This record gives sequence, structure tokens and C-alpha cells, in this order.
Amino acid sequence: MKSLIKTLSNGILRANPTFILLLGLCPTLAVSTSIDNAFGMTGSVLFVLLAANVIISILRRWIPDRARIPTFIVIIATLVTIVDLALKAYVPSLSKSLGMYVPLIVVNCIILGRAEAFASKNNVIHSIADAVGMSVGFGVAILLISFVRQVLGSGKLEVFNVQLFSIPGLDSNPAAIFLLPMGAFFVIGVLLALFRWMGVSECE
Amino acid sequence: MAKQRGSLYPIVFLTVVVFLSVVSLTLMDQMTREKILIAQQSEIQEMLSTLFPNLETFQYDEDSGLYTILANTATIGQAQMLQAGGYGGAIDILLGIEPDGRVRGIRIISQQETPGLGAKIIESQFLDQFAGLSVNEIALNRDGGSVDAITGATISSRAVVEAVAETVRDSFEQGGGE
Amino acid sequence: MSELIAIFFSMALVNNMVLVKFLGLCPFFGVSKKTSSAFSMGIAVMLVMLVASAVTWPLFHLLLVPYGFEFMRTVIFILVIASLVQIIEMSIKRTNMTLYNALGIYLPLITTNCAVLGITFINIDQNYGFAASIAAALGAGVGFTLVLLIMSGIRERLDLADTPKVFKGAPIAFLIAGLLGLAFLAFGGMVG
Repeated sequence: MKSLIKTLSNGILRANPTFILLLGLCPTLAVSTSIDNAFGMTGSVLFVLLAANVIISILRRWIPDRARIPTFIVIIATLVTIVDLALKAYVPSLSKSLGMYVPLIVVNCIILGRAEAFASKNNVIHSIADAVGMSVGFGVAILLISFVRQVLGSGKLEVFNVQLFSIPGLDSNPAAIFLLPMGAFFVIGVLLALFRWMGVSECE
Repeated sequence: MAKQRGSLYPIVFLTVVVFLSVVSLTLMDQMTREKILIAQQSEIQEMLSTLFPNLETFQYDEDSGLYTILANTATIGQAQMLQAGGYGGAIDILLGIEPDGRVRGIRIISQQETPGLGAKIIESQFLDQFAGLSVNEIALNRDGGSVDAITGATISSRAVVEAVAETVRDSFEQGGGE
Repeated sequence: MSELIAIFFSMALVNNMVLVKFLGLCPFFGVSKKTSSAFSMGIAVMLVMLVASAVTWPLFHLLLVPYGFEFMRTVIFILVIASLVQIIEMSIKRTNMTLYNALGIYLPLITTNCAVLGITFINIDQNYGFAASIAAALGAGVGFTLVLLIMSGIRERLDLADTPKVFKGAPIAFLIAGLLGLAFLAFGGMVG
């Protein structure tokens, strides 16, 4: 049980995929323009990571070593396509916002990395814990970045069409740069430095 | 990991995995195909409704790219998607045309112009100018037409105007107007 | 022809893969520390992009679409790319050992490079014809290599400079990328 908790927390703190392992950056920066997107992306990643970890962990004794990577890829690609189709059918507005970054989850280093490093070598329960931990870690990271970008870039916070608050001065004259690509780079650069300074991560 | 099971095993295994993938995805596709089509249709309908609030149904002709807008089985107008070469990239425009050939209005579907300048083409202040224009009036003021360009965004403004004018002229000449 | 040139420059500069579309970031931060490896990586990626585009386009339009299997696109494309990378890796290993050693583990990583899969998706989503897809892939590859080279040049100098401890390494690299992106904004309006 203790090791389960350790596995879970690993993904959130010590080995946070975004801030520490620097994995899966493409979707993180690309869709972090709004909290809605962040939730959507996290949900998609959670589904794929969880399902992939479970399936690969169950099959781990049968997967031939030489066909390891292609097998992982096909499984992950299939799961990603399922999510993509589901989003297009049931939440089309989110699907449009996230665009091609949903199918791009298949090359997200987080998923392939966990399949290779963890799920193929551990039992199902631990693989589930790992998937949940990593997804939560990813979710926290992307939510944080989206929060900063959305608030600074549009002056207000709107989650699922419900406006939570707006900052008076920023509302009418937001720093739109944060919604642009380079804003994402700035935000994550500063956040990374912040975490370093807080001593959460180790130096390179 | 896996024991040595002969060199054919990896190929067989992979084939089975791919087969299962195709099967599950085909299933998924069957389940969602209709819904996706419906979602796309309602998206287009919403888009057309912004130009034609009285829209009941519409028809789409693939060859000409024309949407025919219907209310009570009567044609109340036509619409067309077109693309302009803007400052920062392509600008997708929805153009609505009245039965008499005048412009019903335009909507900007997507653009990559400069925020605060060219991006102002999405604002009603710019777009409303197009309502009711006849084909000869679709040009910037300085080019002899009736459309005021956005201050500091002449290129974006002109791109939209010229693309719309060209499209209206083409369909007008082909007998699109009645 | 002018349309192809426009697409090329759009992919390379205005809509640069890394700075605007956020694709290809993993190798971007991993390999960009030395100019020599950055260049090799860039060329390798461009090669894979070109061949991948050339193969996936006909696969999609001539095989998947007519039979209604568009939804298989993700699975098929990534398998194609993975195989391509394997083939290229093996050929480099056989012909040029030094190059092989220089690229090291980064070669197989090209498979998970979002930029390669990304460009194949873009070719489809933008309804490019075959020639346009090749132009786009070429532009994307050039743009990727360009940014990688600039980044490695800057980082090589940065290593000698006195960076505040919390910023050393990844954080400052991101900030630089942001500044680069800002600079690349100037290309807007080039392709009109």
C-alpha cells in the first residue's frame, strides 16, 4: 500500500512530467490558452494513459521484446483515436479547441515513456497508480500554466462559460501576448525557475 | 519479459494487435460517425443563421460550394465560404448574398491577423458596412467603394474587401443573382 | 508555383513548427545544446518529414479515404513514421558510423517528434495537394532546423555566461524560445 502511494505522489511531485521530466511539452504549451482546454486535455491524457498502462501491464508477459515499441504505439494510437472520435461526437467545441493536439497525444513522450518505463514492468494496480499520478501531475501543470495565461491574457477567468472573476484594469486591456505562443514559453520558463527557487526540483 | 517463442511470434503478435486495433476503431467509428456529422451540420447551421436569422434549412451544392438558404421552402438567400489572403495568413469568410445579388453580410470564420489591428476585421463596426452593398460598391473608400478600412490595417481590410468583391462578381456573372 | 513557395515560407517562418505550432519541443530542448548535433538532428528530422509526407499523402487519399477509413489515420501514420525512422537508422548505421554515434539516441526519438506526425496531419487538414504537402514538409523541416541552430548557438554562448542559478538550463531556454518567437513574429505579413 505504501508503495502505491509513493507511485502516485511520484507523478505529481518528484517526477512531475511537465516541470521536472520536461515531457509532453507540445500539448501543454499549445492548448494552455484556457482552463477549459486544460481540463479537456488532462481528461484525454488521463484516459489514454490509464487505459494504455492497464492494457500494457496486463499483456506485459506476452509482449515480445522485439515488437515492444510498435505494440505500444498501436495500442496508444488506437486509444487516442477513440478519444478523438468521442470528443468530436460528444463535445465538438472542445474538439475544435484542442484540434490536432488530441491525436498528437500518441507521440506524447509521457504516455510512451510510462508504458516503457513502468507499465511493462509492473503489475496492474501499480500501473494504475502511476497513470493517475502522472496524469494529475500533468493536469496540475497545464492548469497552472493555463490559469496564468488566461488571466493575464484576457483579464478574466472563464471556466465552462461561467465567468469566475475579472481583474478590472486587465479586463479591457489584457496582455494578449500571453495568449500567443511566445507567452507560453515565457510563462513556463518563469514557472520552472520559480519551482527551482522553491527548491522543489533538483538542478540539472 | 517474454520468453523466447520463436522468431515468428513477434510478427504474429503485432498482426493480432493491429487487427484488434482496426476492429475496435471501426466499431468506434460506426458509433460516432452519425453524431459527428450531425455536430458538423449544426455548426454550419449556426454559422449561416448569424447571417440569415430566419433560416430553417439549407442545402449545400458540393460542386459550386454554394449554400442555399431556405425558409418555408422559399429561397431567402445564398451563402458561400471564401478565403482571402490576409496579412498573417488565410482569412476564412462566410459571405451571404440576397436573392437580388446584394450582399447580405459577411462573417469572419477564422483569421490570423495582428491582434488590435488587422484582427479588428471581426468586429461588427467593420463587418456591418458590407450589408446591402451591391457588387460595384464593394471596395475601400480610397479605392472608390463604400467600405471604410480599419485604421492602421489597410492590408487586412483590403484583402477582405477584394476577396468578397471577386466572389460576388464571379457568382453574379454566372447568373447567381436574380 | 508561387503558392508552393508561399506554403514553404509559411511553414518555415510565419507558422514555424516550434515557435508557433509548438511541435518538436522535446528534441528542441534536448539536442539544442551543441550546434553540430543540432544541425544533424535538423537534417534528419527534415528527411523524415519529407519521406513521411510523401508516403502518408497517397496512403490517405488513395487508400483510406476511398474506403472510408479516415479514422485509421493516426494509427497508420505513426506506424509509417516509426518504420521510416527504423529504416533510416539502420541505413545510417551501415553507411556512416560517425554520424550514427553523433546522433546517438536522438534518432529513434524522431518517432515521437510531434513535428513529424504534426506535418502529416497538417497536410491533410489543410487539404494540400501532393506538391503542396512536400513544400510544407520542406518548409517545416527547414524552419525546425533553423530554430534548432539558432537556439544551439545561443545556448552555447549562454553556457559561458553568468546565468542566475534558478534559471540555468531549461528555464532560460524557454525564455529564449519566447524571445525567438517574438522575433519571428516579424515574419507575419510576409506571406499574404
